[in-house]
Amino acid sequence: MTGMEILLLVAFGGVMLTYILGRISSSLRNTFAVVLSLVLVVIIALMYDKTGETIFYRGFFGIPMSFRIDALSWLFAMATSVLGCLSVIFSLSYMSDRKNISFYYSMLFLVNAGMLGVVFSGDLLSFFIFWEIMSWSTFLLISFNRGPAVAAGLKYIIMSIIGSMAMLAGTISLYTNYGTLNIADLSHLTVSASPGYQLFLLIIFGVAFGIKNAVMPLHTWLPDAYTEAPSPFSAVLSGMLTRMGIYGFLLIIYVVVGAARFLHAADSTVSSFNYVLAWLGAITIVIPTFIAMLQNDAKRLLAWHGIGQGGYMILGIAFGTNMGVAGGIFHTLNHAIYIVLLFMSVAAIQYRTGGVRDLNSLGGLIKKMPVAFIGALLGICGLIGVPLTNGFVSKWMIYKTLISGRAPFLAFAALIGSWGTILSVYKFLHNIFLGQLPEKYRDIKQSPFNMKLPIIVLSSTILLFGILPGLPLRVINKIVVSFGFDSLNISLWGIVSESGMLNTINLFAAILAGLIAVWLFFRIGARTIPVKQDDNYAAGAAVPRDRYSYTAKYYDPLFRMISPYLKDIFNTFYMKIADLTGYLSNGIRKIYTGYVGNYVMYIVLFISLMIFVQMKWSPW
Amino acid sequence: MHIIELIFSPLLALLIGVFFLGLARKVMARIQWRYGPPVTQPLIDIIRLLSQKSASHGVAFNIGLVMSLAGSLVITLFLPFGKIAPMSNSGGMLVILYLMLIGPLGMAISSGESANPNASIGISRKLLLAMGYELPFLLVVLALMTAYNTTSITEIVSLQRDTGWSMFTFPLVLSGIAYLLILPAMLGVRPFEVVNAPQEISSGPLVEYGGPYLALATLQHALAFFIGISLFVNLMWGGAANPVIFFLKMLVVFFLGIFVNAVFPRLRIDQAIRYLWRWPSLIAFAGLILVCVTGS
Repeated sequence: MTGMEILLLVAFGGVMLTYILGRISSSLRNTFAVVLSLVLVVIIALMYDKTGETIFYRGFFGIPMSFRIDALSWLFAMATSVLGCLSVIFSLSYMSDRKNISFYYSMLFLVNAGMLGVVFSGDLLSFFIFWEIMSWSTFLLISFNRGPAVAAGLKYIIMSIIGSMAMLAGTISLYTNYGTLNIADLSHLTVSASPGYQLFLLIIFGVAFGIKNAVMPLHTWLPDAYTEAPSPFSAVLSGMLTRMGIYGFLLIIYVVVGAARFLHAADSTVSSFNYVLAWLGAITIVIPTFIAMLQNDAKRLLAWHGIGQGGYMILGIAFGTNMGVAGGIFHTLNHAIYIVLLFMSVAAIQYRTGGVRDLNSLGGLIKKMPVAFIGALLGICGLIGVPLTNGFVSKWMIYKTLISGRAPFLAFAALIGSWGTILSVYKFLHNIFLGQLPEKYRDIKQSPFNMKLPIIVLSSTILLFGILPGLPLRVINKIVVSFGFDSLNISLWGIVSESGMLNTINLFAAILAGLIAVWLFFRIGARTIPVKQDDNYAAGAAVPRDRYSYTAKYYDPLFRMISPYLKDIFNTFYMKIADLTGYLSNGIRKIYTGYVGNYVMYIVLFISLMIFVQMKWSPW
Repeated sequence: MHIIELIFSPLLALLIGVFFLGLARKVMARIQWRYGPPVTQPLIDIIRLLSQKSASHGVAFNIGLVMSLAGSLVITLFLPFGKIAPMSNSGGMLVILYLMLIGPLGMAISSGESANPNASIGISRKLLLAMGYELPFLLVVLALMTAYNTTSITEIVSLQRDTGWSMFTFPLVLSGIAYLLILPAMLGVRPFEVVNAPQEISSGPLVEYGGPYLALATLQHALAFFIGISLFVNLMWGGAANPVIFFLKMLVVFFLGIFVNAVFPRLRIDQAIRYLWRWPSLIAFAGLILVCVTGS
């Protein structure tokens, strides 16, 4: 047995075992869940820098099914298992007072196992099967909280099925044309495919992965699903599961079709597909980021940013230069880190405040939950791309690609998206942690240790990858080379490109020196007296307690200007279609009355119609 | 030599920034037929403030302000002052654009913790105003980077030595005009003095600062002023090979800003955004298209 087979066996075996152990004892189950998720991390870490392929099952209608591992699948698998592990640790206390916890854990492991299966699939058939396992178990978890969560889950699964059907159609078409579904074989065979067929493949798989990655206009499932899912799972959902779409895009564009070979050919359809995809990415950045500004629900705000950040990844990947693709993959990884961190910070707040996530009723929690504040602060810095955080490096790479690729308008969309991000995430930070602490949260406690641990781990990773981006970029460089691009010129702390370079360690040293210098300067003179929060200047009037409502409509002037343009028309459109389908189906259901007499009447009517047709036109 | 530059350029920037603050008060006073305070008044104020006691609202209240000033100091290492640009090898225009976030963000976190409504309103206005001018500003910067095909600011400056000031070279004329139109907003002078509006919201984000906090905030304000002017001179007026000429160019821009400040009343924030997103943005957009069309 190879490492991959053991891994998948452990991953899927753990799903059942978790549920069974949960029947016996909850503490046994919790211990097992943590150990299992750690074992997965260790196994995958041991597979670093391996490449290979093993056939694990031959009998599926004669189509061999196989696992493969290379740098691309290792990176995604590693991220999946680490984030899965942190999410399990976080869930220990978050989920402790809910019902059906065993079911929650086993589904969490099933999603994890499905994702691992997807990234290790060596052929498109097993890819499809694992993809479906992943999608359906996700549906069960999104709907875990019942109520509105069921509707959100349904929306997700319907869109997901549409994507899966598109993927199935593409897979069947590949099989009938080439007689194999093995990804490595296909990448050799598609060289000779006609440009039209390549375009067909890209579009039909692009629909499937575009829905998963929530590229506009296929994004509408995402805000509801992220908002309604249990928060630790929202983290997994936004961090990794949605980004399986990015994995899919990379796989279809750069492995199956092998776009690096065609991008500079004159008559290739691949480059025009990528051009359209890049523009979709740009739209996906701008509109959701501005919609996020108008949200008052912490998780919904993050969900819209999840869509927007997906646009950066698409933009980098679709632009198709070595630095762009590397930036796109790096941003996928970085996004996973900071969005999981942000969702966990929100979850910590929810845990202590009894599920409150309305931005207008929180405030001042920095004094009560400092760790969650540090997590949220570093998370938003990563999301904006403040220098020294990981998000800065990957965004820098994407901007650089766009500017030296002479696509200033795409670069403009990406840059303005970042500035829109600042507005909404500052509101997020301010309304939860800064401002006035409401009286009812006066005695709130810090989050428990197992919530702090993932937050601290992720916060330090953000800084680590921001100061030494060479660590992950080394692996990413291998992926880019395996796609057929030139190797990037990277060192542990910097990136060199033809027009300018970035040196993060110098930047770090400068900012650190600046901070120390200013701090010392400040300390020399400072004689400060700590005061209470209501001891402040309000021009003669007292600031009213618990009525700090100046942040309820934080960006009202802008809101009034842009909100008429920011209707989610696609969502309305899809919901209309759904209503229409429901209406039609209702009409059809009326035929099935349940009375045998009626059915006999239908049969008699149908036969008489047939007889009439035969007598009149005699077609048979 | 390099180390001297590393220490020297932030100090020089602070000095010039504080000098500009003093000069601004003097010039404003003369325009209004007053005598005005001496030019050194802000410096005296800073020294006095440092020796005073002040109320602190918490850890983020302190650290945010320190972060804000430190971030602005680091920018001065990347911005060429004449030929002095000690850290321009470590990152170009994109790094500067992003470093410029740290200042306002640190200030926002710091004054956000004070739980003062005036501060919250001020920050909301600051971020909105930034959104307003960043839209045309990014278009201008992209036009420059596309036209010169580089993201390094030292290269943009040195290329202007051959072609002349980018403001007066053909495809960049429109971008230059747009930049000039948004410059008062970037410097935060009237008619865009919405953030610190003293008569409306008690100086906005500054309301809770006193003593050493106010000293730091004043220094941050001075640096922000310096950076805004220096960026314009570097990008549009060809920088300079010589620090003295560079300073003179900055002085000219400074006087332009003060004259605008002296004659205009303050806009409301929504009026400011409406203005910034209309003509400057349209001109900057046209400028970027012009660069793309005429570029090789």
